[in-house]
Amino acid sequence: MAKKRNLRKEINEKLHDEVLRGALGRFAEAYPIARAKALENVEDVEALRDQLKETKRYAVDHIEEIADRFEIEAVKRGAKVFRAATGKELISYLINLCKERAVRRIVKSKSMASEEIHLNDALEKAGIRVKETDLGEWIISIAGHKPSHMVMPAIHLNRYQVADYFSKELDKSIDPDIAFMVQTSRTTLRDEFLKADMGISGANFGIAESGTIGLFTNEGNARLATTIPPIHVVIIGYEKLVPSIKDTVPILRLLPRGATGQLMTSYMSMIAGPTPCLVQKNGRWEETLKELHIILLDNGRLAAAHDEKLKEIYQCVRCASCLNVCPVYALVGGHVYGGQTYAGGIGAILTAFLGGMEEFEQFNELCIGCRKCVTVCPGKIDIPGLIEELRRRSIKEKGLPFIMSRIFDVMSNRRFFHGLLKAASIAQKPFTSQGLVRHLPLFLAGMTKDRSLPGIAAAPLRDRVDRIVKPIEKPDKKVGFFSGCTMDFVFPETGENVIKVIQDLNMSVSYPDRQGCCGKPVAATGDVEYTKKIAKNNIEAFEAVDVEVIICACPTGVEQIREYPHLFKDDPEWRDRAQSMADKMKEFCTFVAGEYEKRGRLKKAVKSHNPLKITYHDSCHLRRVLNVHDEPRKLIESIEGCEFVEMKDADKCCGMSGSFGVKYSNLSIPILKEKMKNIKDAQAEIVVCACSGCMVQLQGGIDQQAPGLKLKHVADLLAEHLESKNGG
Amino acid sequence: METASRDWRTAIPSENADRRVLDEFVQRTKNASTEVHRVHGIKESIKIILDIANGMKAKTVVAVPGTLLDESGLIEDLKHAGLQVFTSKEDIASHVDTADIGISEVEFGIAESGSVCQHATEAVSRLVSSLPPVHVAFMKSERIVTGIQDAIDILSKGFDSGYVSWLTGPSRTADIERVLTIGVHGPSRFILILVDEAGGKGVQ
Ligand code: SF4
Repeated sequence: MAKKRNLRKEINEKLHDEVLRGALGRFAEAYPIARAKALENVEDVEALRDQLKETKRYAVDHIEEIADRFEIEAVKRGAKVFRAATGKELISYLINLCKERAVRRIVKSKSMASEEIHLNDALEKAGIRVKETDLGEWIISIAGHKPSHMVMPAIHLNRYQVADYFSKELDKSIDPDIAFMVQTSRTTLRDEFLKADMGISGANFGIAESGTIGLFTNEGNARLATTIPPIHVVIIGYEKLVPSIKDTVPILRLLPRGATGQLMTSYMSMIAGPTPCLVQKNGRWEETLKELHIILLDNGRLAAAHDEKLKEIYQCVRCASCLNVCPVYALVGGHVYGGQTYAGGIGAILTAFLGGMEEFEQFNELCIGCRKCVTVCPGKIDIPGLIEELRRRSIKEKGLPFIMSRIFDVMSNRRFFHGLLKAASIAQKPFTSQGLVRHLPLFLAGMTKDRSLPGIAAAPLRDRVDRIVKPIEKPDKKVGFFSGCTMDFVFPETGENVIKVIQDLNMSVSYPDRQGCCGKPVAATGDVEYTKKIAKNNIEAFEAVDVEVIICACPTGVEQIREYPHLFKDDPEWRDRAQSMADKMKEFCTFVAGEYEKRGRLKKAVKSHNPLKITYHDSCHLRRVLNVHDEPRKLIESIEGCEFVEMKDADKCCGMSGSFGVKYSNLSIPILKEKMKNIKDAQAEIVVCACSGCMVQLQGGIDQQAPGLKLKHVADLLAEHLESKNGG
Repeated sequence: METASRDWRTAIPSENADRRVLDEFVQRTKNASTEVHRVHGIKESIKIILDIANGMKAKTVVAVPGTLLDESGLIEDLKHAGLQVFTSKEDIASHVDTADIGISEVEFGIAESGSVCQHATEAVSRLVSSLPPVHVAFMKSERIVTGIQDAIDILSKGFDSGYVSWLTGPSRTADIERVLTIGVHGPSRFILILVDEAGGKGVQ
């Protein structure tokens, strides 16, 4: 059973760890630049990522075949191959081997798989001396830590801390001088290499057609560990296997670039079968053939290979790019955002099938769902999507916690839910103080430091539409408007502005009163039944009105409604009805920009004398799920009297993301602070976005940190411009 | 073993590399902190090596000569210059840990990444390029391919067993505070000598 963690406490500790915050903060700044530079001479990065993905997809779909071939070919060349179903099996094989060959000293080059099964502990218990030789791994092994990053395991320590650990280990005082410490490790570990009876390495890839393994290192330790000792043991997970040497090309081209921003690591080696080695016998050096053992580790991997969704993990090459761009990782590091061995979002997924669901459940909520990782992952893994999938499964297995199911009862009962929200607008205080409210949409959560949360509007959009909607004689299009609850209850004016902008295009607008929450907050917890109930209600609501297009000005709503058909994949009738709604769904900015374009209105406005400076924040979901980037910017630029200024990291998460912002407010606030800094640095008077979730978060940040700044939805900006034009 | 994996080397293009490809290769090897020299005929490199040796007060050299060095007489020249040079497997094994300079030959270069590919099935070729603080590698200057894809195409034609290494700059780490530090377990200097073969086969 996994040890019960106190995540909130762990988070708070790390948020106060200056060393960690400094190191991760600097790295988060430097990494994207280094990566982009390294990719400069790759013609088509997307195609290369697709190639990696497809290669690995093929491998996972044929994994047994490929593993058999790998084994046959390796054996043909003189290697011994052992297939370990579990860590236990691997350990006992290895300890036996050590006994048989009288191995007393082992040098290891990095192997995540061996960490996953706690190999070093087991070997040491058996009386064998094991030394990690990768500097970072060596540091954490003498510190007694687990790795906090897949590529830079000791990134959480500074030179002074490292010097302390070195001093203790070597029993002499070591100066905290980095070059000196590196030299010290060179001499200390050199001796270990020369005296070792066995070298253990991991593998970055395995080639079935020739039984070859591939290794990347920068320090050169893997070359020594596989060259000097007479026995070499490789520990390789099934996910590393590819059919042929040609399949290694995308790995060779993407892994070093993504991992460290290098075009290639200092050393890349391919080893096919045992090679000669030099051993000293009776004072003389003799050449013999090395003994090569390759252990294929399963430990849950083969089961994952047959799981339609989870098999995606075979696309992971352990480059850690995903950690390097993760806003949550950048705040707390891999000891908090991670399991026993693997850190970050991919760590949560790997933990789920290697360490078990219980361990997964303890930290997976830290995935904020911003999807930045998906844009850099060489294997194009949908990390947040897989996490959601695992959440769904865990709920399916265990059911919702009681309190959540009560809340979802409320949310899926539209009338009651809306009544509750209206009541909340009148009596916000007592309502928000109840514990239950935390799980309701975020705006019910009350105030926190550095961010106020907006209250419920006195009159929701549904009570205002009649005043705004006007009959249109011969509409160009009949448009339905799906607002989503945040726009309905918190930003009804924005909702009104959406209607105005659409009507200005000579289109009619219908706002079916029956519509409710899109269901995303429920879907995010993994509960399918309640999500379906909510979906059916919305499908019916829009079937009752005669529209060709349905507009939503909140990306989450668009995304969720496009998900509806998948919810009903086993129910043809509802699937078709859901599909027809999904087909009509259009995102506001995209739709309006398209219509403006047709009418010749999307032109850059003429530069004016004293323009209003406007900057734009990309919502994670609008940018990375719906892939909308240019349209809102073009719309802003089309407005007379405005000047668009791009802010730094415009597409970096604002820290909201559904219930995350409330449940982990101590993490959400620093992410928001960084966003606010970038907004302020852009020196704009107005910050615009096109997502009501972001608006909640940004408005809170503005109230507390930049009271002079104005926040608007793209719809607000457009409607106000129309009014000033028509009015003047 | 040796014969089985020798095949891929016959797939290396032996015509002159494109000038642009060579320039790109040189630039990227330098970016990776490799020290690159270009010589016309191998004899020219004696001065380079002696300069390095003098600069570090080197006494001992371990070398694994291949076809390039075998014919050149360079080893003899180094010995005449007063350096102790070991070339037999047994001698290398006994001296490599304390040697000042390791010398080897590499097969071809990759412009995309500034790497060189070493046929490394013999343990000594890995030892001389790993243990001494300085590694000097010789390569024919016309043997450069454009991309990693081309490099794998070559290896796919016959690398069937044995050991191959790509070397890209010296040994390095950034494991403490992400500060780049050169020379962890491998050499702190990687010197690549590109040889334009006598007879004018070099890149113009
Ligand atoms: S999930 Fe993708 S980005 Fe993350 S470590 Fe694996 S391959 Fe790299």
